Amino acid sequence: MKLAFILAFKNLIGAGLRTWLNVGILSFAFVLIIFYNGLLDGWNEQARRDTIDWEIGQGQLHFSSYDPYDPFTILDGHGVIPSAEREGMIPILLRQGTIYPKGRMISALIKGIDVNQTELKLPTHLLRESEAQIPVLIGKRMAKNSNLSVGDEVLMRWRDKNGTYDASGITVAGIFDCNVSMIDQGQLWMDIEKLREITGLTNHATLFITTDMESKSVKNWNYFSQEELLSDLTQMIEMKKTSSSILYGLLLAIALLAIFDTQVLSIFRRQKEIGTYIALGMTRMRVVGLFTVEGSMYSFLATIVGCIYGVPLFLYLAKTGIGMPDANQEMGIVIAERVFPVYGIGLIISTVILVVISATIVSFIPARKIAKMNPVDAIKGKIQ
Amino acid sequence: MSEESIISIKNVTKRFPVGDGEFTALREINLEFTTGEFSGLIGPSGSGKTTLLNIMGTLDSPTEGEAIVMGKSVSKLTHRESAMVRNMHLGFIFQVYNLLPIYTVYENVEFSLLLQNRSAAERKQMVMDALEWVGLQDMANKKPSKLSGGEGQRVAIARAMVKRPDIVLADEPTANLDAKNAHAIIQTMKKLNREMNTTFVFSTHDEKVMGYLDRIISLEDGKVIKDEWVEAKFSIS
Repeated sequence: MKLAFILAFKNLIGAGLRTWLNVGILSFAFVLIIFYNGLLDGWNEQARRDTIDWEIGQGQLHFSSYDPYDPFTILDGHGVIPSAEREGMIPILLRQGTIYPKGRMISALIKGIDVNQTELKLPTHLLRESEAQIPVLIGKRMAKNSNLSVGDEVLMRWRDKNGTYDASGITVAGIFDCNVSMIDQGQLWMDIEKLREITGLTNHATLFITTDMESKSVKNWNYFSQEELLSDLTQMIEMKKTSSSILYGLLLAIALLAIFDTQVLSIFRRQKEIGTYIALGMTRMRVVGLFTVEGSMYSFLATIVGCIYGVPLFLYLAKTGIGMPDANQEMGIVIAERVFPVYGIGLIISTVILVVISATIVSFIPARKIAKMNPVDAIKGKIQ
Repeated sequence: MSEESIISIKNVTKRFPVGDGEFTALREINLEFTTGEFSGLIGPSGSGKTTLLNIMGTLDSPTEGEAIVMGKSVSKLTHRESAMVRNMHLGFIFQVYNLLPIYTVYENVEFSLLLQNRSAAERKQMVMDALEWVGLQDMANKKPSKLSGGEGQRVAIARAMVKRPDIVLADEPTANLDAKNAHAIIQTMKKLNREMNTTFVFSTHDEKVMGYLDRIISLEDGKVIKDEWVEAKFSIS
C-alpha cells in the first residue's frame, strides 16, 4: 500500500497540469462545502443564541388557549398563575393595539414585561428609569417603519378586558437593536404593570418566560422547552442546509466527474504502462489499487491545496464575519447583520472524508477494468 | 523438467477467438530451455513467436498442452502466483522498451526491486550495478524522453536484469534500433548471459540478432519447423 501511495504520488505529479486542474476544482468544491456549512452553522449558532437571549429564555409557559401562530387567540389567551407557582418566572402580557405616528395608522402588538427582569436582553431598565407616563421600548425595525425616535410621543389605542377601546399617548423610552425580528417588527414593549392597569387585567399574563430549564406543570398552562421553541429555527436551518447541499452536491459531482473522466482516459492511454506493471510482477489487483489510490490522492492533494487558500480565508471570515442584506432580517428570519461562520473540526473532517471517499469510489469504478485486461494486449496498447 | 531445464513446453497449442471462429497461433509445440541458453525464436510475422514468448512469460496460458516455467505449470498459476513468478524469475525486454515515462532511468530500473520489498540500500546498489552493466550510470536521473533509442533499450535491459532473473524474454529487442545500436544491445545481453548464466530467449527476425544466438528455433504457422544449436556468427569482446 505504501508503494501504491509513492507510485501514485509520482504519477500524479508527473501528470502535471491535468492533475492540478482536477485538484483545483476538487479543492474549490471542498472549500465551498466547508464555507457554506460553516456559514450556516455560524448563523444557526448566532440565531439560537440571540433567540434565547432576546425572546425565549430557558423555556416558556403559554396560557392554554394562546397560540403564537394565531393572532385571534391573543384577546382571550391570558390567565393568572398563583404567585407561589410563578416564582422566578417573567410574565409577559400580550394585547393588540394601534399607534398613530404622524397621522399614519400602524397595528402593533403591545407586550407588557416585568421591568426588573434580567433574563432577556431587552433594555427594560429604560422603562423603569423613564419619567414618561407610559414609556415604551421599540426595536430598530419598528422605529424605522414607524419613523419614531427616542423621546417621540405617539397616540396608542387598545382594548381593555371588556373590549372597550381606550387611548393614550405613549413615549418612546428607548430603541433596542437585536437580530430577532420576532420581538421587534410591529411590537411595543412596556411595563406589564402599566399594561395590566390600562387593560384591567390585574395579575394576568399571556405567557411566562422561565429562568431555568426545569419542566413546569401548571393547570391551564402549557410548558414549552427551549428546544421546542427553537424547533422552527432548527428546521429552517436544516432545510437551508438540505437545499444548499444540492448546490455543492452538483459542484462535487462536477469535480468527481472530472476525476472519473481523467481515470477513464488515463487507463486507456496508459495501457502499455499497465501491461508493463503486470509484466514486471504486479498483480492486476495491485494495479487496480494503484490507479484507485491515484484517483483518491486527488482528494488528498485537494485537501492540502484547499487548506492553503481555505484556512486563511476561513480565519479571516470567522474574524470579520459576513455582512447579511437587510432584506433577510426584515423577513422574520433571525439573522445578524454580520454572520460569523463557525468552522468546527467535525465539519472539516466530515467534508474531507466525504471528498476522499467519493474520489476513491469514482476512481475505483473505471480502474476495475484493469482487472479484466489481457496483459499481452495491454503491453502492446491494443485495447480499444 | 530435466535437471537443467527451466522452461518446458509440452504439446502446447494456443488458439485465439477471431470473429465467430478461431485462429491457431501455436500448434503442438514441444521445447525445452536450459539454464544459460541464448536462444531465439525466429520466423515471419504471425508465426507464433510472440505468443510463445508470452506463454513462457506467464502473461498468457496455453489452450492445450502444458508450459512449465521454473517448475510451475503456467495454466495452473493464479494471477498472484504468475505475478510472483514474473517478479522473482523473469525479466522482459520489449520492442518499444515500455519504459515508464514519468520515472527517471534510476526509478524505472528500481521498479522491480520495489515490488520485491528490498531495502533502499540494497536497491541502490543493485540499480547502480545494473546501470553499470549497460553503461548508463551517468544517465540515472534522466527521463526516458531524453534518451536515444539505443539508450532506452539499454535501460530496458538494466530493468530486466537488475533483479538477477533466471530468464530474460526479449520480444524483438532490436526492431526499433539502427544496426550499430542493435549490435551494441545484443552484445550487452550476450555479455550478461555469459557472466550471469541468465537464460535469454528472443523473438526476432533480425539477422543481426541471429548472428549472436547459440540456438535458433524456427517457427512457421505456429509450428516448430527447425530447432538447431548453431555456432554464433558474431563474438563479443
